[in-house]
Amino acid sequence: MASLIGLYSLFFGLCSSFLIIFFSIKNFRNFLNFDSKILSLTFLQFFFVVVSFLGLIISFINSDFSNETVYNHSHTTKPLFYKISGTWGNHEGSLLLWLLVLTLFLFLFLLKSKEQSKKYRILTLFFQQIIIIGFFIFLLKTSNPFSYIFPTPAEGLGLNPILQDPALAIHPPILYLGYVGSSIIFSSTLAAATLNKINKEWATHIKKWVLLSWVFLTLGILLGSIWAYYELGWGGFWFWDPVENVSLMPWLALTTLLHCLLVLEKRFLLTSWVVILSISTFTLSMCGTFLVRSGILNSVHTFANDPERGLFILIFLFSLIFLSLFIFFFFHKFENKNMNQLFWLSKETSILINNWFMMYFLTVVLIGTIYPIFLEVISSEKISVGPPFYHKLIIPFLIPFLFMMAIGPKLKWIKSDMLIKKRLIVLFLISFLLSFLLVIKLNKDILINSILLTFAFYLFFVSLRDFFIKKKLSLPQNFAHFGFSLLILSILFNNILSKEIITNLKVGEIYKSEKFEINFENIGQVEKKNFKEIIGKFIIKDSEDNIEILNPGLRIYNQPNIVTSEADIKVNLFEDKFMTMNYVPNQDYFNIRYQIKPFMIWIWFSVLLITFGGIMSVFKKRYEN
Amino acid sequence: MKYLKYIIILLILSTINLSFADEHETQLQNEITKNLRCLICQGQSIYDSDSQFANSLKILVEKKLSEGLSEKEIYEYFENKYGEWILYDPKFNKNTYFLWLLPILMFLLGGVILFKLFIIKKN
Repeated sequence: MASLIGLYSLFFGLCSSFLIIFFSIKNFRNFLNFDSKILSLTFLQFFFVVVSFLGLIISFINSDFSNETVYNHSHTTKPLFYKISGTWGNHEGSLLLWLLVLTLFLFLFLLKSKEQSKKYRILTLFFQQIIIIGFFIFLLKTSNPFSYIFPTPAEGLGLNPILQDPALAIHPPILYLGYVGSSIIFSSTLAAATLNKINKEWATHIKKWVLLSWVFLTLGILLGSIWAYYELGWGGFWFWDPVENVSLMPWLALTTLLHCLLVLEKRFLLTSWVVILSISTFTLSMCGTFLVRSGILNSVHTFANDPERGLFILIFLFSLIFLSLFIFFFFHKFENKNMNQLFWLSKETSILINNWFMMYFLTVVLIGTIYPIFLEVISSEKISVGPPFYHKLIIPFLIPFLFMMAIGPKLKWIKSDMLIKKRLIVLFLISFLLSFLLVIKLNKDILINSILLTFAFYLFFVSLRDFFIKKKLSLPQNFAHFGFSLLILSILFNNILSKEIITNLKVGEIYKSEKFEINFENIGQVEKKNFKEIIGKFIIKDSEDNIEILNPGLRIYNQPNIVTSEADIKVNLFEDKFMTMNYVPNQDYFNIRYQIKPFMIWIWFSVLLITFGGIMSVFKKRYEN
Repeated sequence: MKYLKYIIILLILSTINLSFADEHETQLQNEITKNLRCLICQGQSIYDSDSQFANSLKILVEKKLSEGLSEKEIYEYFENKYGEWILYDPKFNKNTYFLWLLPILMFLLGGVILFKLFIIKKN
């Protein structure tokens, strides 16, 4: 029943799209004010999608297995929470979520843009509707979440156990708010370009939307990363996996766009560049969906795929790119002489340099992600592009980038003088000395580590100092930059100081090394509704006789029948103690992995700081001088 | 000078001995297994994975190390056995010229565009 209502609701939603387009074209041509009918219709469309989404959620809650999506991704023994989160833990449901966010953002946009011109609002609406219609058709044609099966199966197939996790339950909605949020930026940029309205006022107006998507995208990536850290059981948080890269690319583009909008807002420069960035941000988000959903990526995060769907998204994507290029070249007016106002030592220049580096990082990630796919198609040779590739190409460039992040915000708009401040140099010397001593102490590879540390510390000190000193400081910017320096420092120290032991242990055995003693005390068993869990008790003694008890587990899920290992993590301000226990077939021992991961909590915290900067900026009335 | 005291604090800090274990052999082994793809898994390295395939390769890496092979020789050994796909660090050869050079070229291109902005202004 709920499925049926959901399905009809989807059809009605699609119909309202055509009505909206009809009325907007009428309204666009006449001289009247913005037609309030359009706003109501947009709300109605949003409402239909909400009903449809609720229909799917209810089908999941009721375990209505006559619905194919529910049958494929749910099971009666699953806890309610994961029944609900199963709604978007699959392809069909997650696309419905896309649609939900698309219509939500459009409705919010119309509500919040009342002071903008009528034509601009209608055109934005129009472009957004094109995307919405595309997704409606995609959903109904290739991935209907309400397909019916008869006879009704008695039991569902269950949700992939590694998706049965609180962080992963909220990760997709948050990430999608970021991904799909870029659609409204895309639509509004196309509208503004068509009307030749890419100007300072527009920049101020669209900046909030960019910040909003940026905040959600950052949080979404953070959640995914935290999930990977504790669920995938290897203690890493970023693997340069294609699916991770695909979320990083729109983030890089969005961050670049954000900085670029600041220049547009202040100096009315870089209009074409802003248009290109807006288009690429959304294109990259779409590409992300395409790459993940089509199944051409080989990734830990690939859960559902189907080549036919990939083809549809690809065609849709190319039509959108074609449309935006058409508007860019035929409607958008290129500015020429404005660029002559640039002075080499100014805030604008530093932001341009930021753009330059960000685009480079984006290129590295993009090429690293898609090159293996192309190579395989062209020459049928398979290569892997993994962490070493990204590290080699990104880390050296991070050094000047960090430096510019420290110096850039100190420069003035238009023209800055060459006044070299003593304090900045002293801070630099301190950073250098500190890094040098640390690297020597830690017996690490001197050159690259100490240079990178120096510049990370430099940004850290400079932005830390700014919190206390500068009066007319841009607090959001400082939070974000400070957070970034903290992020790089935490990652570096985490990398340098991580320790680990991998060994095989039987129950009752003791592993001894110079530093640790691991005592595999016993195992117990816990039975839950959807899984059985074997929990080991390990007593770890370090050389100073500090005792730590860790209880990693092995879960045997009933539906589908999969064994996963659950890490036990003791979180501490300075280091995490991380332990996993793995099942070895046909053996009486377990494979034990014990890791000490310093500063993990600081990695998460610094990303939160960066996000906090963004949130502050959303709520800030005006960008200060 | 007030900064002097910070420097002194730093020097004192530096005398606190932070020594760390140099379990060199296992570290190298981890390093190597991190750079090998687990061929039967979905995008995991040998190090990350606990599949049978990965576990047997971990043992193989350990064995090769004890036989005295260098890191590079081990990579070569695995490449010959399983093909280039197993290496996470792509080699620089005719297949990967574009992979390695395109980002650098883009960076240079960006640099040229930026540079031109300021040169044109002068003329």
